[in-house]
Amino acid sequence: MNERKAAGVTDRRLALRNYIKLYLILIRTSIRSRMQYRFNFALGTLLAAIIQLSEFLMVAIVLAKFGAVRGWTMHEVGYLFAVMTLAKTLYRTFANEVHNLERYLVEGELDQLLTKPLPVLLSLMPRGFRLMPGELLQGGAILAWAFGEMLQTGQVTWWAVPQTLFAIVTGGVVLFAIGMATATCGFWTTRISMLQNMTEDAAQTAARYPLTLYPGWMSGLLLTAIPVGLVGYLPALYILRGELGLWVFPVLAAASCLAVLLALRFWKFGISKYQSTGS
Amino acid sequence: METISSRAVPTVQAEREAAIEAVGLCKSFKTPVVAQGRFSGIRSLFSREYTTKEAVRDIGFTVEKGDFVGYIGPNGAGKSTTIKMLTGILHPSSGSVKLAGVDPHRDRLRCASRLGVVFGQRSQLWWDLPVKDSYDILAHMYGVKDTDKARRLGEFAELLDLREFWDTPVRKLSLGQRMRADIAAAMLHDPELLFLDEPTIGLDVNAKRNIRGFLKVLNEEFGKTILLTTHDMDDIEQLCRRVMVIGGGRLTYDGTVEGLRREIGLPTEIKVTYRDGYVLPRQGDDLIIAADSRFAMHIVSRTESTLTVEVNRQEVRTMDVLRELGHWGEIEDVEMREPDFEEIIRRVYG
Repeated sequence: MNERKAAGVTDRRLALRNYIKLYLILIRTSIRSRMQYRFNFALGTLLAAIIQLSEFLMVAIVLAKFGAVRGWTMHEVGYLFAVMTLAKTLYRTFANEVHNLERYLVEGELDQLLTKPLPVLLSLMPRGFRLMPGELLQGGAILAWAFGEMLQTGQVTWWAVPQTLFAIVTGGVVLFAIGMATATCGFWTTRISMLQNMTEDAAQTAARYPLTLYPGWMSGLLLTAIPVGLVGYLPALYILRGELGLWVFPVLAAASCLAVLLALRFWKFGISKYQSTGS
Repeated sequence: METISSRAVPTVQAEREAAIEAVGLCKSFKTPVVAQGRFSGIRSLFSREYTTKEAVRDIGFTVEKGDFVGYIGPNGAGKSTTIKMLTGILHPSSGSVKLAGVDPHRDRLRCASRLGVVFGQRSQLWWDLPVKDSYDILAHMYGVKDTDKARRLGEFAELLDLREFWDTPVRKLSLGQRMRADIAAAMLHDPELLFLDEPTIGLDVNAKRNIRGFLKVLNEEFGKTILLTTHDMDDIEQLCRRVMVIGGGRLTYDGTVEGLRREIGLPTEIKVTYRDGYVLPRQGDDLIIAADSRFAMHIVSRTESTLTVEVNRQEVRTMDVLRELGHWGEIEDVEMREPDFEEIIRRVYG
């Protein structure tokens, strides 16, 4: 009995190693495919950087005019903005195709993935793997600018850097979970872009500002049902303003894991409801 | 947790199982009524209105190992839906599927590694990469050893003429080339069972012949079980030992090609040429009752010296017809034409 159990564990470990190897091969494939259109890649990077920067400039102009938002300085809001951008970049780098699931549902492309001996997410995610240097640069620059100022005034110490990186990773995971749960609705409705406007785009934009800006029910919603508040706002409360406590980090880790597990459950259920298309 | 490596199945059991066993398969699609106007996406999401369409109703059949089955029916009859249920893409609303004893829905990963699937309208190859790169990726995906991969690709390249476009990106292939490349891709991991959904759609005569030849070899020499859907009756006549016809979501026929011909009882055309003309027993009437009134024949066309009649060979022997025709003049030559398969299908589809 024990032997069989041991064999099962080895099996699983072998399978995991196979999956990881395959994942890397598929990512390399995506990059090679994409690099066939170098001009498109270069232009996309440039445009992304410009769009991102202009978005922040809008925020910056408003802040420069009023000085602060509900007691949050321009640099603190810049920090929220940058963390959200980087977390989103992380999510979209690895799981862009989950966000683009609608295309697979409408065109019936998912059929092909379902005939492969791989979990659908594993064949889906590497397909959309893309490097996003524009977003990375812009997010990094704003974060550096915000940190520079706050380090100088002594508002934060260098400890804030690893803490922020941690928050970016858990934030990316939370955004991925939200994206996956939203995409799963597509198995029933096929079209999901409107829903994505709400749960992804609008929610992410809202969480670039301190949640105290919003009425209580809404900030509650953004911390629970669509937990974008966990990405920048909650860690910032501790890292920048010394509120809450160190327990914020284990809570972030647990919450992001829970969110992904719930989303995965939902995803699995959704796939069994997949309707495909006519041929 | 489903794993890649748990692929091994007790072979003794697998030998005894039918290749495909479908029992009482049903699939109905619930489509939400699409709301119109502003925020239609969100409103549709919360809408409780549905239209239900029964695409497949109570289909059951068994396919033995080594069979070559054609699955035909008009557009929208439920062919693709059935194939998608058999391959584990769609979950049936009720009923069950077993492929060599394994449920493709409960055990999708294990089943998928033993199946080859080709959708004529879609490619499983990587669009922007050379053909050979797709094979490398698929070999990794299915855990095919390098030596096996090289040997199989060598065989396929020979049979399907793959070499001419080995290094071409898939997006630049012609439809015929792409289809050949796709079929080879589906066979790379040497599955026992191959599903093809309209593999010859839109191809020219040469490409069709090439693909049929390959499928024949797979079936006859390698003993693969193959199920294909098609609208091309030559595919059926040249390849399939068994035909299943689906209409309106139900299986309306399941048997041999000859059996299908017989069941429909299409008239055979008999054309006789008379040496010195002929005299019909009754003028101006296209339906003629035989002298002993045991059968009737329908006159299709006539000239000075020839007469073409239709008879149903289910009801009357050819000799009786010829004897009757012999009463009207001296017969010089007889030609017979069996009903065309296209014609049969037209009748089946109604």
